[in-house]
Amino acid sequence: MTADEIRAHIDPIRDRFAEERSLVLPALKFAQTEKGWLSGDDIAAVAEAVNLTTAYVESVASFYDRLYLRPTGTRVVSVCVTLSCMLRGSDELMAALCEAEGLGPHGGTAEDGAVTIQEAQCLGYCDRAPCVQVDAEETRGPLSPDDAASLLEELRAAPRPERLWR
Amino acid sequence: MGDYAPVDLTAAEQVEFELNGRRVSAPPGTMLVDAAHAHGVRVPVFCYEPRLGPPLGACRMCLVEVEGMRGLQTACSTPVQPDMVVRTDSPLAKDGQDGVLELLLANHPLDCPVCDKGGECPLQDHTFEFGPGRTRFIEPKRHFPKPLDLSSLITLDRERCIACFRCVRFSQGVSEDGALVMEDRGAGSEIATFTGDAYEGRFTGNVIDICPVGALTSIPYRFVARPWDVQNAPSVCGHCPVGCNVELTAREGEVRRVTGRPDPNWEVEEGWLCDKGRFAYPGDRAPGRLREPLIRESRDRARVTTLEEAVDAAALVLGRGGRVGVVVGPEATVEEGFIAQELAAGPLGGAPVQRLGIPGEALAALRALPGAQLGDLDGAGLVLVVGGDPPNQQPVVELRVRKARRLGARVACVGARPHALEALGEHRRAVPGGLAAALADLELPEVESAVVLWDEADLAAEPDAAAALARLAAERGMRQLELGADVNGAGLRALGMPARGVLEAAQAGEIDVLLTVHADPTEGPGGAEWGWALGRVRQTVAIATHASPLADGATVLLPAATHREQEGVYVSMAGRAQRLRAAVPGPPGSAPGWELLLAVMHRLGAPPAYRTAAQTFAAAAAARPALAGLSHDALGALGRPVATPAPPSPNGAPAPREPAGTGLPLVVTRMIFGDAASHRSDALAAVRTGAELVLHPAEAARRGLAEGERVRLRSPSGECALALRCDPAHAEGVAYAAAGPPASGVERLLPPDRGPVRVELAAER
Amino acid sequence: MPIANVVYRHREAGAPLTDAGAYERAGGWAGLKRALAEMQPDEVLYAFHRSGLRGRGGAGFPMGRKASFIPKDSALPAYVVCNADESEPGTFKDREIMEMNPFQLLEGILLAGYAVGAARGYIYIRGEYEHQARVLDAALAQAREGGFLGRGILGSSFDFDITLYRGAGAYICGEETGLLESLEGKRGQPRLKPPFPAVAGLYGAPTLINNVETLTSLPPIVDRGPDWYASMGTEKSTGTKVFSISGHVLRPGNYEIVLHETTLRELVYDHAGGFRPGRDFKAAWVGGSSVNVVGPEALDTPLDYESLAAAGTSLGSAGCIVMDDSGSMVHATLRLAHFYRHESCGKCTPCREGTLWLERILRRIADGEGRMEDLDLIDQVAGRIGGRVLCALADTGILPVVSAIHRFRDEFVAAIEEGGAPRPEPMMEVAAHG
Repeated sequence: MTADEIRAHIDPIRDRFAEERSLVLPALKFAQTEKGWLSGDDIAAVAEAVNLTTAYVESVASFYDRLYLRPTGTRVVSVCVTLSCMLRGSDELMAALCEAEGLGPHGGTAEDGAVTIQEAQCLGYCDRAPCVQVDAEETRGPLSPDDAASLLEELRAAPRPERLWR
Repeated sequence: MGDYAPVDLTAAEQVEFELNGRRVSAPPGTMLVDAAHAHGVRVPVFCYEPRLGPPLGACRMCLVEVEGMRGLQTACSTPVQPDMVVRTDSPLAKDGQDGVLELLLANHPLDCPVCDKGGECPLQDHTFEFGPGRTRFIEPKRHFPKPLDLSSLITLDRERCIACFRCVRFSQGVSEDGALVMEDRGAGSEIATFTGDAYEGRFTGNVIDICPVGALTSIPYRFVARPWDVQNAPSVCGHCPVGCNVELTAREGEVRRVTGRPDPNWEVEEGWLCDKGRFAYPGDRAPGRLREPLIRESRDRARVTTLEEAVDAAALVLGRGGRVGVVVGPEATVEEGFIAQELAAGPLGGAPVQRLGIPGEALAALRALPGAQLGDLDGAGLVLVVGGDPPNQQPVVELRVRKARRLGARVACVGARPHALEALGEHRRAVPGGLAAALADLELPEVESAVVLWDEADLAAEPDAAAALARLAAERGMRQLELGADVNGAGLRALGMPARGVLEAAQAGEIDVLLTVHADPTEGPGGAEWGWALGRVRQTVAIATHASPLADGATVLLPAATHREQEGVYVSMAGRAQRLRAAVPGPPGSAPGWELLLAVMHRLGAPPAYRTAAQTFAAAAAARPALAGLSHDALGALGRPVATPAPPSPNGAPAPREPAGTGLPLVVTRMIFGDAASHRSDALAAVRTGAELVLHPAEAARRGLAEGERVRLRSPSGECALALRCDPAHAEGVAYAAAGPPASGVERLLPPDRGPVRVELAAER
Repeated sequence: MPIANVVYRHREAGAPLTDAGAYERAGGWAGLKRALAEMQPDEVLYAFHRSGLRGRGGAGFPMGRKASFIPKDSALPAYVVCNADESEPGTFKDREIMEMNPFQLLEGILLAGYAVGAARGYIYIRGEYEHQARVLDAALAQAREGGFLGRGILGSSFDFDITLYRGAGAYICGEETGLLESLEGKRGQPRLKPPFPAVAGLYGAPTLINNVETLTSLPPIVDRGPDWYASMGTEKSTGTKVFSISGHVLRPGNYEIVLHETTLRELVYDHAGGFRPGRDFKAAWVGGSSVNVVGPEALDTPLDYESLAAAGTSLGSAGCIVMDDSGSMVHATLRLAHFYRHESCGKCTPCREGTLWLERILRRIADGEGRMEDLDLIDQVAGRIGGRVLCALADTGILPVVSAIHRFRDEFVAAIEEGGAPRPEPMMEVAAHG
């Protein structure tokens, strides 16, 4: 993504913040919507759009779990593994998803690059445990290990949603 | 390394409190950690570094017990309160300190035997004094690939890092380059640059000094010495006129390292150094260092001899060779300059002596205004930068101006060169000749406490601007701080040494013998003129440290000590006289210049009363009003200001100077890593820069010149060929030349007094 | 065990109140209207104080007192920040407010802004709540359209607008100064306190920062009066509180109760439906995970701040995680230790190194490589964290670990002596929703 595109997105909200630096997080999240992750060029574009050094932007981005600085699959499935979900079978769900994709127990990206499976911490859907978040946007639950195959099939079939936010 | 802030125990307002059972006091607002230190109680710290901004409270090393407060408090962030009861040595406080160290050591690698920091390592020292003797941590330690070279100068060991954030805060909040950051989170946090870019800049080496462990270490100093193998000497950097106070680390007769002083000089550099000053020391042992006295017998033959013989020969040449002229270069110390003057006035019968530098008549009014030290920028409401390029030519000034701005000062810049300080406030581009007009155009806020930083070379070239600036500064009660051009220019001026005289005499055929002290005028401004003039000089005696055309052809060559190898005094551009200390002797065939000159005086039958550098300086102080009252002892470790010169008699409005020559006005900048010292030091090999011509792209296009092509510059004084770079930040209608080492010939384009000049440009095709 | 719908107005209404008109018809905006028409800012502030409302995010600090710390004479503008970074394990009460009753939150922020003299508010919402963020976006647009936000609100001279700011995945951004750092565009690492946000908060300006539920409680307090609110609960635990309950219970969900008038037993068995046949209560982390774990002895504790404290735990965020006797305290504790280690921001030594160490020890115990001295070691390491850290993450993060070692010691001893703790069977039946 280019600095101009990012600027176009954050310019309307500039006057809402006393300091320009606050725009870095909205800018990073917006830049990430293009591929689902942030390349070095994306970081540089954000840095330019928000008048910060690239190192600083990378430092901020690396702090957060939902900003990805390494390539991810087209769809990302984050499986909550914190206590409430663990009590309701998150580990078994995670194992089923990973096995279906031929990944090790801590997840990773499928060989065809279609899906990344990763652990997440409490997503705030403990009443629907075990839950997963898809594409850092949509939380679903409860899921059982039996749902793994159909979930992966559904995600493979559909492209990443175009929904943009601000 | 400047760990604690100074505390004024004599200030009128004091808060009384109890510290480890003693009743003590400190001014209101003092943090416990500094108050304790002032009273001889050490509270260990890691992340606390007063020069890096407000306390962070991150490392928790400084935990102390304060009665009435739950748990333990970080002494770095707890201000003294009346009747507070503080214990740094209670069982709970000790458990706190022990605990933090145990936790830091849990993942810290057992690298001490191979870690450069060992022996001067706060983590070791604090563990020994406050920490556990054994570990209970049996888990596998955290690992990172290591070491990672951050640049050609600094290497990073992430396993040793204790996440104190000092280096990151330096990069973000002192040098403000924002290149060194913390990445990731929690126990996986690591120091990094953007996708592994090199950490390059003007001040990167400071992170080595402030890192409290062996995470950031110097590559040139890697595995060179242990702290118990070395001798440290407090001295002054001799690579630019700022005069940063340094500590020289010597091992087995060689300077192996230069660092900031553990007790910084708050008035000058605050403990920070630029990378040139930090890493130039290998130049003292580079090829080109003069190690053997030579007596030249013919144009093609010179024989190596002893210093004794060479001094004898020099005395003979000077005493019997005819009319003598003495040229003193800006790296000469006050002692060397004084003895040269005494030699010339006495046994040499009134020989002319001149310094290589900028004649200062037009600057007298500015210099007579109340002066500021760099430390005075901290409280300034306005910092005005006139001319020059401090980030390149007086680098540490940049750090102090940035600090002033962080403390609330407004910054305004006016000048021909684009430089990093312009981004800190408003700025006006002024082409050569237009400085007075640009100054008049600036709307400056009325503030208390303004300081004007003014460039010696640029204001000397535009006397009308100098006069206007002096008036402006006087009207507004601004203090002035000169951005000097030459290392000890102020010291030689304090001796009353003029910047003219010998060249004119040589041109008139009145000089038979030339004595040079740390000087080769053929390499600098007006070099060609000097060269022609010296064609009529029959013999030369050169006191020099490194090879140069003049030294190479000298009749008698006396190798001299560098500023790291001799006692002496430099006066900084802010008028601060500071002591150089000899950390090591020079090579066996060399001697300090002042000793050589003294020996010559003895040979010529005019032995002065002074025999040591200190006595020489005392004699100079007795004889020169500017140095009145000073002595080596009085200067101590931190130096003292010299007397402010008296204001000149008013002489109306000085006229602007017409530049010599035709073509574009020339602006020459000495780049931080482009000078001779940077080119001599192999530590700076990866960052050194060469000479280049910079033009605004429209200017280049107008002349049919393309980026990268070689262009010949010609002025009435000299010529050279440079590669062209186009940059729109520069002004149209001006030729900017970045000077490289002397051989690049850029400085020879300037006239001998470095005045205004124009150059013709032609493509070399 | 009465259920109240003070913040869950949508449950009273029987439908989501995501339309401004529906909210108004359900009695919404009455607090704001009353304040703007009849009350001075100081009176509104006093109402907060008199209500006895305590911060609902986990710290339980009296809200009125916190708001009174905002200086009246600052040269800098004051801000109201809503902490919607709900990330405490087991806690999902704010999620429902934002999704189902967003206007009451906005009204609460407006009231807070009016009381402290702020003109700008921010809602910092955790990045994972993207759906709820969109609901809030729509609600903000409607509120502006309806004249409830912007200049001259409801014809008064009160100007106020709210900006929604999304996080990107960091529990520590729920710590108030960590949140402010993140909102300022930095790494979300907490700051030294003092200075407190009320004095130097967002961009160094006076800032009132409160949890979603706290702010959502304000409109009824102003509308119906603080005495009405204070008449519920006890003197030190006034009003209502939403408890999120999850884990091995049959009806996980949010339940808004009057403080003190419901016991833990009632919450677990009556509201949340108790356990599967053949299973019974073993342990609960009643206030989110950053509290001491309790066993069956605590079941009859009334749910309020002081009673839970007396029972050796705390109300915290009221995110109650319940484990039945099929669960393993060793694995549960390890999982929580992993959480704190993962979420540690890394700034201060005891948390950065200590949470890692505790996780490693617990993993060894679970995997069969534990030693008896590890139980003392856990106590000692935790003792070098508590009271010595920069923020509450590790200060409270050690509580579930230390309390588990002490209250369920036998299980840990068994794991050490028997080569590890076997992985428990999770509860796989899909939950029924109450």
